[in-house]
Amino acid sequence: MDGLLNLWHATGIANFTFPALIMIAVGCLLLYLAIARNFEPLLLLPIGFGAILTNIPVAGLSDPGGLLYYVYHIGIDSGVFPLLIFMGVGALTDFSALIANPRMLLLGAAAQFGIFATLFGAILLNFIPGFEFTLQDASAIAIIGGADGPTAIFLASKLAPDLLGAIAVAAYSYMALVPIIQPPIMRALTTPEERQIQMPQLRAVSKTEKIIFPLMVLSLTILFLPAATPLVGMFCLGNLMRESGVVDRLSNSAQNEIINITTIFLGLAVGSKLAADKFLTVETIGILVLGALAFAIGTASGVFMAKGLNKISKSPINPLVGAAGVSAVPMAARVVNKVGLESNPHNFLLMHAMGPNVAGVLGSAVAAGILLAIVG
Amino acid sequence: MDIGGLLTTAASLMLTGMVGVFIFLSILISAVLLMSKLLGRFENSASSVPVRTAKLQPQQGVPPTHIAAISAAIAQFRNKQQ
Repeated sequence: MDGLLNLWHATGIANFTFPALIMIAVGCLLLYLAIARNFEPLLLLPIGFGAILTNIPVAGLSDPGGLLYYVYHIGIDSGVFPLLIFMGVGALTDFSALIANPRMLLLGAAAQFGIFATLFGAILLNFIPGFEFTLQDASAIAIIGGADGPTAIFLASKLAPDLLGAIAVAAYSYMALVPIIQPPIMRALTTPEERQIQMPQLRAVSKTEKIIFPLMVLSLTILFLPAATPLVGMFCLGNLMRESGVVDRLSNSAQNEIINITTIFLGLAVGSKLAADKFLTVETIGILVLGALAFAIGTASGVFMAKGLNKISKSPINPLVGAAGVSAVPMAARVVNKVGLESNPHNFLLMHAMGPNVAGVLGSAVAAGILLAIVG
Repeated sequence: MDIGGLLTTAASLMLTGMVGVFIFLSILISAVLLMSKLLGRFENSASSVPVRTAKLQPQQGVPPTHIAAISAAIAQFRNKQQ
């Protein structure tokens, strides 16, 4: 009889707690969004599964000694996984559109206003009872506005590891929702005439320019913002491997095998942070609201900047491309292209939007570096 | 720190952060423009160096390959006629 009782106590049914069941349901919801709705499946599927694994009673996958515990400490606590992903993103990024029209960097800079405005908003939330965000917490939450998953995870792991799960889930969920969040803001802030503006064709960029560009970005980061060199350095390494053309094998590995393997474990490790006691808090709701706000403000400030540039620039600039300044590569650029085509079926803005889009990646890495340097 | 103090810090961080991002990316814009200009000049000067190429003299009349092809065709036609 004792044996049977012990066996019963070792079952999941006897050990389930209500919060853990809710978190398993959240994991299932993420799996549903990934599989049925195709929302960032590469990330949400492993995150959702990680959330289920970490909330299994008795197994203790996230306790010291458990698999997810090690994956988290090796990959995220150390900051290695987001940096490996950044190297892969660098190897996947083509800077031609930005080198051909470097003024687009200003749009990438303007869209970072979403980050800094949200930082202010996060501190404002402290007026509501139940919220106690420190400046570090607020900075980590605000980086969701950078619309860049690896940057958000990197900064959160350094500044607010307790909030990492909620921040990563918010960042990736909103990135998946870019096609839904951005278009209404873009339409509201532009006139139909502005949306029809055609931009001149971009000049061809030489191979030498593409090789020098990552080295130049790295040099400037070393000189002015060394705190951002982990992110920018890995990004530039990936890009240099791509553009140099002499290490195709390494570049291909960074773009495929390395980024894929890292994505699996990064997702699992983030999922392991979706434990009931950490996630089912009022702070998570605050983070989700602030994340959406950060995205909206970033999009709006990018559009406003593009409108301003269009007024003073000799060559026309379609204000829609400003929305691509919130990284989320290449989704944001595709959204710009789609909204542009609605107004003018012959106006293809994709290449023009890629400039601010990759500028946004650099901009959010720089913003993360500034936050690390000041708050970290 | 009280919320008022935090808000002041957040506001100054917002200002510093945006100014920082703009200054950094503006320097990058100047650097990219300078690079493109310098490379453009270098590549132009490189291409303006007279390169000795064995220019083919414009052929007078029909090129020899054509003559060969026509003669071969005539020869084939005559062979068939015989």
